[in-house]
Formats: sequence, C-alpha cells, structure tokens
Amino acid sequence: MAIKEFFEIPKKFKTWSLALMGVGILAVVLGFFVYGTGDVHHKTRFWASLLHNSVFFLLVANASMFFICATTLAWGGWQMSFRRVPEAISTAVLPLGIVALVVLLAIAWGGHHMTHIYHWTDEAAVEADPILKGKSGFLNLKFFTVWTIATVVLWYVLGQKMRNLSREIDEKGFDSAAEARKYIWKNTVWAALFIVWFSLTVMSTVPWFWLMSIDAHWYSTMYSWYTFASSWVSGISVMALFVVYLKNKGYLELTNDEHLHDIGKLMFAFSVFWTYLWFSQYMLIWYANIPEETVYFNSRITTDHHSGAYTFLFWFQFVINFLGPLLILMRRGSKRNYTTITIMAFVIIFGHWLDFYQMIFASVSPEHVELGWLDFGVAALFVGIIMYATSTALTKHPLISKNHPFIKESIIHHT
Amino acid sequence: MAEKKFVVGSFKEEAVLFDAVKKVRKAGYKLHDVYTPFPIHGLDQAMGLRDTSIHTAGFIYGIFGTTTALSFITWVFTKDWPLNIGGKPHFALPAWIPIMFEFTVLCACVGMVLTFCYICQLAPFVKKHHFHERATDDTFVMAIECTPKTDENEVSSFLNSTGATEINVQQAETGWWLGTYDKDTKPF
Amino acid sequence: MAAFKYESHVREPLVEGKKDYHQVTEDIVRPIESSPSKLWWVGFIISVILLLFGVYSIYREVTYGVGEWNLNKTIGWGWDITNFVWWVGIGHAGTLISAILLLFRQGWRTGVNRAAEAMTIFAVMCAGQFPIWHMGRVWMAFFVLPYPNTRGPLWVNFNSPLLWDVFAISTYFTVSLLFWYSGLIPDLATVRDRAKLKWRKKMYGVLAFGWTGSTKHWQRHESLSLVLAGMSTPLVLSVHTVVSFDFATSVIPGWHTTIFPPYFVAGAIFSGFAMVQTLLLITRKVLKLEEYITLEHIEVMNKVIVLTGSIVGIAYLTELFISWYGQNKFEGWAFMHNRLDLFSPYGWSYYLMMGCNVLSPQIFWFRKMRRNLFVTFFMSILVNIGMWFERFVIIVTSIYRDYLPSSWSTYYTPTIYEIGFYVGTFGLFFTCYFLFSKFFPVIAVAEIKHILKKSGEAYKPANEKVETESTEEFYHQVSHHH
Repeated sequence: MAIKEFFEIPKKFKTWSLALMGVGILAVVLGFFVYGTGDVHHKTRFWASLLHNSVFFLLVANASMFFICATTLAWGGWQMSFRRVPEAISTAVLPLGIVALVVLLAIAWGGHHMTHIYHWTDEAAVEADPILKGKSGFLNLKFFTVWTIATVVLWYVLGQKMRNLSREIDEKGFDSAAEARKYIWKNTVWAALFIVWFSLTVMSTVPWFWLMSIDAHWYSTMYSWYTFASSWVSGISVMALFVVYLKNKGYLELTNDEHLHDIGKLMFAFSVFWTYLWFSQYMLIWYANIPEETVYFNSRITTDHHSGAYTFLFWFQFVINFLGPLLILMRRGSKRNYTTITIMAFVIIFGHWLDFYQMIFASVSPEHVELGWLDFGVAALFVGIIMYATSTALTKHPLISKNHPFIKESIIHHT
Repeated sequence: MAEKKFVVGSFKEEAVLFDAVKKVRKAGYKLHDVYTPFPIHGLDQAMGLRDTSIHTAGFIYGIFGTTTALSFITWVFTKDWPLNIGGKPHFALPAWIPIMFEFTVLCACVGMVLTFCYICQLAPFVKKHHFHERATDDTFVMAIECTPKTDENEVSSFLNSTGATEINVQQAETGWWLGTYDKDTKPF
Repeated sequence: MAAFKYESHVREPLVEGKKDYHQVTEDIVRPIESSPSKLWWVGFIISVILLLFGVYSIYREVTYGVGEWNLNKTIGWGWDITNFVWWVGIGHAGTLISAILLLFRQGWRTGVNRAAEAMTIFAVMCAGQFPIWHMGRVWMAFFVLPYPNTRGPLWVNFNSPLLWDVFAISTYFTVSLLFWYSGLIPDLATVRDRAKLKWRKKMYGVLAFGWTGSTKHWQRHESLSLVLAGMSTPLVLSVHTVVSFDFATSVIPGWHTTIFPPYFVAGAIFSGFAMVQTLLLITRKVLKLEEYITLEHIEVMNKVIVLTGSIVGIAYLTELFISWYGQNKFEGWAFMHNRLDLFSPYGWSYYLMMGCNVLSPQIFWFRKMRRNLFVTFFMSILVNIGMWFERFVIIVTSIYRDYLPSSWSTYYTPTIYEIGFYVGTFGLFFTCYFLFSKFFPVIAVAEIKHILKKSGEAYKPANEKVETESTEEFYHQVSHHH
C-alpha cells in the first residue's frame, strides 16, 4: 500500500466550502442593507459582527502557525506526520488577514459617525475626557493603522518562510546528520522569530488594540493572554477537525490514534488553561471590587445589584468551554475516538466564538443580546474561507514531509 | 499465602524476553510473573494482564475532595458562623475555588498513592521473595509456576530454547511478610 | 509489541559513552556506596554552619519578637515575604520537569528530574519557614488549621488568600513528596539489591517498601506516575498563582493586576530552572555524572530559561504599559515614581530586576553561550539574584510609600537576623541536598534505562540503519512489526 501523497478535494467538500462562502456573502450583503445603511446603532451592529468574526477566525488560523513554531522550537517529532495540515490552515491567514484589515481599518477610520465601536476615535469625546486623552499616545488612528498592518503582514511573511522551509525538502532529503541538523537549526531560528512577533502582537498589543479598546476606559493586564488562550485552543480544535477529516478520507496514513490522542490532550489541557486565565481575571476583579474594573462585568453577569443582559451567554460559554472538555476529554478513550474528538472540536470552536462574541457585543451593545442570523451568516463566510484556503493548500504539496529528519519518529510515536 | 515451586529463567535482552513470553503463553505454561529493572511498554499486554484502573480510583478520590471542600466551607460560612468579610456574600464561591482545587488534588494524589501501595503490597518492613538479585539491575526474570503435573526439567529446557541465560528451580512464598533485608526471615 | 527503539540521528545522545544497563546502575549508585569525598564534607559542614546561624537568628526573632527585623510602618512585608516567594518559585522547577515534561514526553528530563524534584521539596521546606516564623507567636501557628476548636468555634477565613496559601503549599509539598518518593522506590530497590553492608541492606530494604519489579506493579506505577503528573501540572500552576493572589486580590497599586497569576508562574519556572542549573552543574562535576547530565541537557534548560525569561519580560512590559494606559493615578505613581525612576529610593532594584531577568538571559539566543558551562553557571546565579529582586520590587516598592505621605518610611534595610534567617534557609537547603546526594540516587536509574536504547550513545549506530531507509519502507516495516 503506497502512501497517498496528494490531497484531492472531494466534490462535496468543495461544494460545502463554496456554499458557506455564498451564504456568508449573502449575509454580509443582506446585513449591509438591513443594518449597514441604518442609523449608527444599526451600523454598529453590522460592523461589530464583521469585527467579531474576522478577528476571531484570523487569530484561530494564525494559531496553526503558532503550533508549528512552538513544536519546532521544542524539537518535537510527533507532529510531523500531520504537520502539513496546520501548515495549510495557516495559509488562510492571507485572505482572512486582508478581510480583517479592511474591517478593522474601516471601523477605525469610519470613526464615531459610522459606528460606536471604538469610542476613542471620537475626537470630541477624547478632548472632553481626560482618561481617553491620556491614552491617545497609544489609542490613535495612525499608530493603530501602522501596527495593525505590520502585524498581519509579518504574521503572513514569517509564516510563509516557515512553510517554504518545510516545502523545500520535498524533492531531496539529507545526506548526512550534520546537514539535517543544520536544517533543523534554521527552522528553529525562524520559528523563534515568529514566536517573538507573535508575543509582541497576539500576547500583548493586538488584543489591546482590536478588542480591549472597545471598552476604552477599561483595562486588564490579563486580557491579551486570555485572548490568546481562547484563540489557541480553538486553533488546535480546527487542526483536529482537519486531521480527522483527512483520516476519514483515507489520507495521512502515518497519523494514528496516538497522534490524535495527543491532539486531544492539547484540546483538554488548553481548555483548562483558558479556564485558569478566565478565573484569574474574573476572580481578581471580583475580589478587589474596584468600580472602574468591575464595570466590565456589569453587562455580562447578573448580581444582586444589577442585571446583565449577557449573563446566560456568559455562563453558557463558560460551561461548554470548561466543563464539557474537562469531563468528556478526560477519559483516554474519548481522545482516541474520531467522533468524540470531532464533536468536542466543534463545541470548543463554537464556545470560544461565543466568548469572542460576548467580549465584543457585551461592550458595544450592553443592553440586549442580538445574536442572530447576521452573526451566524458572517461566520459561515469565514468558515468557508478557511475550508477553501486550507483544502487548496493541501492539494499543492505532498501531505507528508517524507524527508523531514523527524518523520520516522512520528511514525513510531506512541503514547 | 502459600509456598509454591517455580522454574525461573533470566534474560538479558528485552526482545528475547518478549518472544519468550509469547512462546510460554502459547505453550500453555502458567506464567507467574516477569520482573524487570524498568517498565517495558507492551509487556503487560504481551503477558495478557488487564489494564489497571487505578486512575479511576484517583478520579473518585478527587471528586470526594471537591465535594468535601465545597460543602464544608459552605456550611461554615453560611450556617455555622456567617461573617461579613470585605462585603462579600456569605456564599463567596470564587474565593473558595483555590481551596476546593487544592483539596481535590490532595485527596486524589494521597488516595491514589495509598491505593497503589495497598494493591501492590508495598510498605516499609515488607519483605517478599526475590527470584534474582539482579532483577532490579540489568536482568529480566521470568517465573513459571509449577503445578502438580509440571515436569520441571521439561520447563527448564523449554526456557532454555527461548533464550534464557540462567535457569533454576526455586521454592518460594508468593505473599509478603514482615522483615528486613539484612537477615533472612521466615515468612509469617 | 516491543516498542521500536529509534530516535532521529539529528538528536544528540542523552547518555554518553559505552553504557549497558549494568553500567548505568554502577555509575549512578556508586556515589552512594563509597564514602563521600572531601569536597562533600566541606560543603556539608559549611551548610550546617549556615543552618545553625539561621537557627540562632530565628531564636532571636522568637524570643524578642518580630522587632528584631527592620520592618517598619509601611513595610510590613520585607525580606521575609520576599524570601518566601523566592523559595516557593524555585520550588516549581522540579515538579515542572517531572510532570509537564513527562506529559510532553521530553526524553531529556530523565537525566535531571530526580535531583530537580528533590530540590523542589527542599525549596518548599525553606519557603514554608518564612510565613510560619513571621507569625511572631509561632506557638499559635496551628490557628491556620480549620479544625473544630474551642474558640467559638471561630473558623479560619476561607476567603483569605493567606489561607489559600496554607492549603496550596501544604498540598504542593505533600504531592511533590509522594511523586518524588514513588519514583524513588524502584531505584531504592536497586540500591538494596546491590548492598553488601548489613546496615545498608536493612536501611534500603525498609525504604524500598519491598519492591520486586513485577510487571503488574510497573504497569500500575506507570499509570500512577501519569496521573500524578497530570494532577501536579495544574497544581504547580496553582501554587504560584495562589502566591500571586496574596498580592493581586488587594487594592495596593503595583499589586492589584490581573496578569499576576500566569506571570508569577512563568517567573517561578524561570528561577527554578536557574537553580536546577546551579545545582546540576556542581552535581555532575562532583559525582562525575557528566555522561548523564550532558551538554545537551544544559543547553535545553538554557533554552527554557531564555523562553521563560522573555515571557516574564512581556509580563513586566505589559504591567508597565497598562499602568500608564489605565490612567489610574495611583497605579501610575507606583510605576513611574517608585520603580521606573532610577533615582527614587528603590529605583535601582527595578533596573537590577530588568537587567538580570529580561536582558541578560537573551545571551542564550546563541548556541555557543548555551553550551558554555561558565556562562551557564554565572547566568544561573544572576537569574536568581534577579528573581529575588523581582519579589523585592513588587513587595517593597509598592508599599514603602502608601497613601499618607507622613508615614512614608525611612529607607528599609534588613537587620543581621533578617539576613541570618535567609542565610539559614540556604543552610537548610544545602544540608538537605548534600544528604540527598549521598544517600539517594541523584538520577532516576530506571528511567535512564528506559531511554538508554533510544538515546544512548552506544546504541546510536543501530539507528543509522533506519536513517538509510526511505520513509515508506520504514512505515511498512513498522506496520508489519505490530
């Protein structure tokens, strides 16, 4: 039995990805006419939905490159049998990045007259507000624009370098251990550079800019790491979905239950990690009880003193992001079961999508939860893009990097 | 416990040992146990041992810890002696999570280690029969139990054919007894 | 199926030299069976002297009260709690190496885990001293225990982070001890079965719990280790998290910040690894274990140090940035005037912390530096100086100027007994470590044997055959093998 090297996109898969994108575009167009042309609240609703989905899915796709770089830095061998999958997913950073750039810059430059998302873009309000004025060294359009563009471009460029490094050995392997070692070192250096940029963006500045600045007065030092944890665990789940799909279609022969088990462990572990950050942020703010901090939770959690519209959503996403993975993925058997992993991956992605939803909407429209066709429709567009970009990338290069120095370790990998 | 007779073979290579275990089981001999200086993955399956469920015990101890901690603190702070601490509600769940977590881990770990020691009969001053003094160094030791029908010589030559280096017959106690290793003590 | 023993030839061996199983036993158990060297005695005696100085310092503090220390109006926590957090932080590396790296199946951990775990236990013992003796009336220490008492019953305050500490640290100590000891049992049995002297046979016979090496026992032992590792991983995170809560639940500027939990954990791993480096560089030399604790091990740990140092750096900058971004006057003051201002009374300590923890580890981006023993040793000490100052900065610079300028304290310098207490814990730590290295195998014998045929230098040539096969051939061969 020979190894199937190239992926052919099944018709059904292609249809689905195109259909989802179609639905998404339809939703965006419809949304534009229903909301986008209305008053400023309607426009806010429309643009916030675009912001929510574009930022979430961009971070999720980029998490794949983070996976590659983290395992490269650790000199991991086990992931080699399916490494082309996260590689393919990370190519979606290009289309998603372009969309996100358009959305982010449109919202920021559209200013206060277009939407009420970034309060700090309202010059009159900033003038009258000493706090916002004090922040304007950071929260200003120029810096926002430059940094946002640099972020996305460098993610893509450094990611592309990693992908190229991986592909350049497809034709010819290594003659000696020294040559192979040199290759691994080269990979390590580029992976380290990606990680450095990743920490300067995802783990610090970018969530402040794109998301935390929606609540322009509020701040939490944990926010960026929390955002990272959310998108990272979803990113692992997306990877799991594609691996299971390809396995079911008869590809990725070298990947077996042992590899899936380890992906499952990552889903489990980082769900717990997310909860840890969630709890730390929430508990510290609850405990210190300082009004300028607790204001964030007013629309999100109902207490004796006030009711928050997002209470149900807030606890619901907590339950499916924590209790679900904790109890279901704890068992060894469920991490090795295709169906369970698939279901849990969907649950985790959906749960964190909801988490991002409340991070944005509980701030831009704190009074009512309007989760509806627009949000799901726009999400369909992004899901379609990821499916399309990933599957196209998978067809272009062999599914298995057969000359990689660690590929044989991956074959005999066992838990 | 009882004294039994064993044919004991020792091996120097894991690969040889694996094949020997398979052959011994196929030939239908009563494989008492295999003693190794380090854990060998897959040997338990090759010997036909069932998986351990010690982790399930750990889960149960853990759940016990969580519920104990939660119910105890709840009782103390809402029923037995409610206090206003920093204006927090009496049922201040977020503040109790750390202790609930720590107690869960404590119960699970202590419970599991005790369970492990109990089912493996490990404790200070416990003494057992050792078939080979280098079983904890570099030798893999296989003990085959003799039934009344067993012909020791036949088993010995069979073991020899599988690649065992040292073969002998030992009369041994299968259980444990109290004693120290510096002098010989009688079982029970 | 016998597991296929193979490792890419790109990887360096983790056990150098021509070793078989017996040789591994010989090399690691030998120091236990021979009498200690002169160097060992010198080190041990110095440690005991330091310990005795610590005991005297505590005697002064207990007899004359906490006034023996220079704590003052606003600085209620000074050296004492700084040392506590510092030691607890160091106590994180052992469990991290054994637990998290076990889950991540990092083979190199086998060379260093035993010593690192022992170090963890001793560090936590040292850490525990500080809050206990800080109580002043130490004979009332049992008040922290929630037992049905005659005081009302007035229970302990379960809402207080200080009580969470009691639970976190005692649980951590217990679990680390269990984890360490359950791993030691098979190795102690190895020592027992080799022992010729009567007392040694008896002592290790008792300590080894009657271990035989039965396959069923190994199977349970493996399962136990995995679950203990799984439980220890969140546990080790929780311990420094709870320590960070001591500060972060308050409303003190400089203390109340939500990033504290993961940032403290990263810092703890950082300083713990540095301490492991310090100890192992000495241990491998003194006990002649260079073939088991190789340059490769040292290089990998240096990578962890540069990684965690940079994570800590991101956290420092995040904190600093948000103190400005938040536009909170008090928070801003704590950072801009008490820390960032080099010429403020403690400004120097902030820059010392930044220099030691964030800047200096960046030297490990270079492979040559990572493999240089002298640089590594120097850095490992520098990092722990930096991490001590991190805690000092957090504690002292946040509280020495409180909301009432009239109570702003004079410059805080510790007394000789405050320093003596700290020095005494070094004595305790090294006394324990010297005894450990004399009486216990400092490297996990069974675990080294487990990876020997995969990562041992003597077995590497056997792997070369695999390298010549194509991936497909290899795959088919392995699948038939099953």
